[in-house]
Amino acid sequence: MTSVHADIDALKGLHEALVRYRHAQREVAGRGEEEIKVVRASLEAKASRWRAQMEQCQAEFGACQERAAQAAEGSAADGPTAGDDPVDCSGYARAVEQCGERLEQIRRWQQRIDAQASEFQGTASRFGDLLENDLPRTEEHLLALIRSLEAARRVQAPGA
Amino acid sequence: MVTRPDRDGDQQLRLLDDAWDKAAQHWHDGMSRQFEGGHWTPLLRESRGYLEGLHKLMDMLEAAERDTEG
Repeated sequence: MTSVHADIDALKGLHEALVRYRHAQREVAGRGEEEIKVVRASLEAKASRWRAQMEQCQAEFGACQERAAQAAEGSAADGPTAGDDPVDCSGYARAVEQCGERLEQIRRWQQRIDAQASEFQGTASRFGDLLENDLPRTEEHLLALIRSLEAARRVQAPGA
Repeated sequence: MVTRPDRDGDQQLRLLDDAWDKAAQHWHDGMSRQFEGGHWTPLLRESRGYLEGLHKLMDMLEAAERDTEG
């Protein structure tokens, strides 16, 4: 490389870097979108599991309350019997509450992600536009500069 | 190990920035100043804005996964 052409070589290097950047950032943007989809699906799967768990807990709690009501009726009719423990449904109630809390926690994350993703959409769309339209134009502009510099040097060369 | 896309994006921007620095050492005429104002600066601004947004979102996705484990 001669120092006379150092600027041309530098521009060629910049042009190559811009092309690599465009391809690499396209891949980054694609992975970013994929990551959002994956986490949304993961949260939905978790919510679905907790909903099923909630249904089961509610059914168990309901059955326990029924047993408690029957036991209470029996006690009222026959009087308390020694060894009869009152039916305690508090564990089932706690389990229902915990399922509800987990579902609520997931729902809050889903809402936050939706809000953040929606806010990000504008920026991502502008960046996508830059990668698809502006950057190729910038690369073309650089190529034109390189060509014009090379042409000027060829013209100058005989007399140089 | 798979790295986060925002971190790879940052790395790509650093590489491009290095390429610009290298080019700027040999290219400093009126055209280079025009290129800087018309192409380079907007490219940097959009890229940084995008990567900051992506970084925030990736942080949130990680936190959501962590917080809802189990």
